[in-house]
Amino acid sequence: MNDALLEVEELSAGYGEVQVVWGLSFAAARSKLTTLVGANGAGKTTTLRTVVGTISPWSGRVRFKGEDVTRLSAHAKAARGLVLVPEGRQLFTNMTVDENLEMGAFTGRGAHGYATRLERVFTLFPRLKERRKQKAGTFSGGEQQMLAIARALMTDPEVLIIDELSLGLAPLFVYQLFGTLKALKEDGLTVLLVEQNVHLALAVSDYAYVIAEGRLFTEGRPAALAAMPEIRRAYLGL
Amino acid sequence: MLGIIAAIIDGVLIGSVYGLAALGLTLIWGVMEVINLTHGAAIVAGMFGLYLLANAVHIPPYATLPLILIGGFLVGIVLYWISVHRLMGRPPLMILLSTFAVNLVVIGLGTAAWGTDLFNVPVSLPSVTWGRYTFSGTHILAAALTTAIAGALYLFLYHTKLGKAVRAVANNREAAELAGIPTTRVLSLSFGLGVALAGAAGMLIATMFPFTVLSGDAYQLKSFVVTALGGLGNPAGALVGGIALGLIEGFAGQFMPVSWTLVIEFVLFVAVLIIFPRGIFAFRRA
Repeated sequence: MNDALLEVEELSAGYGEVQVVWGLSFAAARSKLTTLVGANGAGKTTTLRTVVGTISPWSGRVRFKGEDVTRLSAHAKAARGLVLVPEGRQLFTNMTVDENLEMGAFTGRGAHGYATRLERVFTLFPRLKERRKQKAGTFSGGEQQMLAIARALMTDPEVLIIDELSLGLAPLFVYQLFGTLKALKEDGLTVLLVEQNVHLALAVSDYAYVIAEGRLFTEGRPAALAAMPEIRRAYLGL
Repeated sequence: MLGIIAAIIDGVLIGSVYGLAALGLTLIWGVMEVINLTHGAAIVAGMFGLYLLANAVHIPPYATLPLILIGGFLVGIVLYWISVHRLMGRPPLMILLSTFAVNLVVIGLGTAAWGTDLFNVPVSLPSVTWGRYTFSGTHILAAALTTAIAGALYLFLYHTKLGKAVRAVANNREAAELAGIPTTRVLSLSFGLGVALAGAAGMLIATMFPFTVLSGDAYQLKSFVVTALGGLGNPAGALVGGIALGLIEGFAGQFMPVSWTLVIEFVLFVAVLIIFPRGIFAFRRA
């Protein structure tokens, strides 16, 4: 893909002696929504953690805007606009909504144009504006996911990576969040999504990679994938 | 003889300084879950910092406080890189041992240089008389400076971006890293702050009481008692715990020889650990 903003080449990673990801390659195209789908334990979260630098890869490369960023620390990648919304939200639960958002804008990148971005985030998630002084730990799961995405947007991402957007959220809420993501994408944001809910992932994405046991199973446009008999059987329960 | 009320008030004044020392210990624990066993050495370094700067360089005693804060901060950052950084994420015993080793080295060097003689820094301040009671000026000023330092720390942690980043790292280090906060640098900064607070507490203690190179152990243990009372990792609890400890000392001093206060404190320490393992004043983990 020529207009790939994020390219992952032959990535291998794991924990201790256990290899989880085996030579995985994929790319996220500019201003598109790309998804990684796969069953629980397929290595999706490990892949994302390796891409953003929370854990180091065993081998392989991560390129961002053509530059090799494989060995950069997670905070350095965030400062360049490669931002992860981690699984389980990982908010600063003892801190207020305002403080969480301010921490999202910690880097020079995020601090630039802070007020404008804050207004935009509050337009996307009005509920957060009503609760600016409330501690994040008191929020419901859906509100926490909103705040996690809002905090990541405060970093001014070029690629927004979201791990398990829909996990544990009410369906209505999930559709709302996908609506927001679509709007962000139309504004030019590149989104890389990991999703266990394959139905949902194929319905919203522009391109999808199917991962099984840490390896690439297949890839393609969602419509093509949804038509494949082995995908229908294994992931869609049809 | 002071009356019992005066003894209690004096205990509160001294106790606030114990609270300041414990604040250093509890801040480091709260941010990185490390028990800093160089704490006692940092307190002694603060005491000898005052002694050297005031006696040898002739700086007015209280003017040494900012120097000791800055020096403690810088030394703390170096200590983090020497004795803590590479052991983060390893079994906690390793950092206990490495910081204890640094403690032994510092105390060993101090003993070689000054022996274990008693030192005293003469600080002349007028005492304050209130009705029938008289309070030592050094005790009042120590409590006032402690309040100022604790207040400054509060402003830093709650009203500056870097201070909020310290709290963010304490709250969730991985999320802080993902938000673009250079967490390792924040850890070293927090360790520097913790050592600076211990040094400042040592300096203030040295304006009130005589000390030796080996005094650090007793005050380090007092810090542990204070954090047991206040809950480890809880800054407000450290101050309240310190004041409570000072109060107990002042009160107990009225009824029994001073040599018994340590016994009472450590009986209390064990009792609190058994009955309130999370601290008496542990409202919630910071």
